[in-house]
Amino acid sequence: MKGEIVEKVVAYVTKEIVEDGDAVSVTIVEDGPDEVTAEVRAAKPDMGRVIGRRGRVAKAIRTIAQAAADEEGLQARVEFID
Amino acid sequence: MNEWVDVRGPSVEMAVSAGLEALDLASADDAEVEVLQEPTRGFLGMGGQDAVVRIRRKPAAPTNRNRSRRGGRGSGSSTAGHSSGRRSSTNKPDTAQPSRGRGGAPASQKQQSRPAQPKASQSRAEKPSRGGNAVTKRDDDDREEISPEDQAAEINRFLTGLLGAFGLDGEVTTRVEDDVIYADVTGEQTEALVGAKGTILQAVLELCRTIVQRKTMSGARIRLDIAGYTERRREALRIYTRRLAEKVLAEGGEVMLEPMNAADRKVVHDTVVDIDGVRSFSEGEEPHRSVIVAKEDD
Repeated sequence: MKGEIVEKVVAYVTKEIVEDGDAVSVTIVEDGPDEVTAEVRAAKPDMGRVIGRRGRVAKAIRTIAQAAADEEGLQARVEFID
Repeated sequence: MNEWVDVRGPSVEMAVSAGLEALDLASADDAEVEVLQEPTRGFLGMGGQDAVVRIRRKPAAPTNRNRSRRGGRGSGSSTAGHSSGRRSSTNKPDTAQPSRGRGGAPASQKQQSRPAQPKASQSRAEKPSRGGNAVTKRDDDDREEISPEDQAAEINRFLTGLLGAFGLDGEVTTRVEDDVIYADVTGEQTEALVGAKGTILQAVLELCRTIVQRKTMSGARIRLDIAGYTERRREALRIYTRRLAEKVLAEGGEVMLEPMNAADRKVVHDTVVDIDGVRSFSEGEEPHRSVIVAKEDD
């Protein structure tokens, strides 16, 4: 499946950060032949953690997601969905 | 209540103001601040770093507005000469060891949870968490103090899991030295986690910090190396410094390097020390502090 590593990595990292790991879901949407978007959902109270102060954590997750995408020759975006 | 919080930001000022906000403090006068790391643009554009400050509510501050004497120690230049100075390890949040506080105040009160009373706390009075008022930041009431060793184990677990999620072969080792956590990720494939100019490495480090700070107020400093990148970078800096020193030896005068963080400056100093005829010193205010390599006058 396209974006499998991205999904795995983003889900792993997000679950590590939140309190309620069970509420985390990551959905991969194919945007194009080499592009995927990882849609991240988490429990409401956890969203702040996932984003982090001034978006620091979100930025780190995006960087890691792209690193994962590189493994598959993809471009990855990450959307944090409230 | 008097736990230290480590806060990062693009500048010391911004990190401090974020820290004040996190601690619900009105002004820096209410806080003790220790700068752990100055922000830098990094050496040759590589691996620039944010400012990191360690901040806490000033201990045992009386409730009145004119903040009497500074709670005993560590809050400013007036105490600079004192033995338990600002950077001593007794400031570490997780060590309950007594500081030899002068004056009458028992050192233990700085560590103990005491009923919250100072000003900034009333707005959060509905949270009688045992952490006291300094810990009233919305999401961290239940965080405890965790030893650096346990933090290192946590980082080890996270990094190992991360390799697994990526499907990369590699090994994670962690150790604690002087309250600094060194995490080393090795293995050929782990190069994938370095990134151009170490950007991925920085992101991984950021996540390590986040995960530790999620569990404890007292996140220790973390040094992360992946696939030998940090060490290679350091070696590149040594080579660069040596070349520069030779040039200074040959041509005289002095050369100022670009601003660097303290760790990188130390690499330069340590390199120059081994070369006869040149010396090095730092100049300028953080975060623009730079090393100057100069010919030894004789």
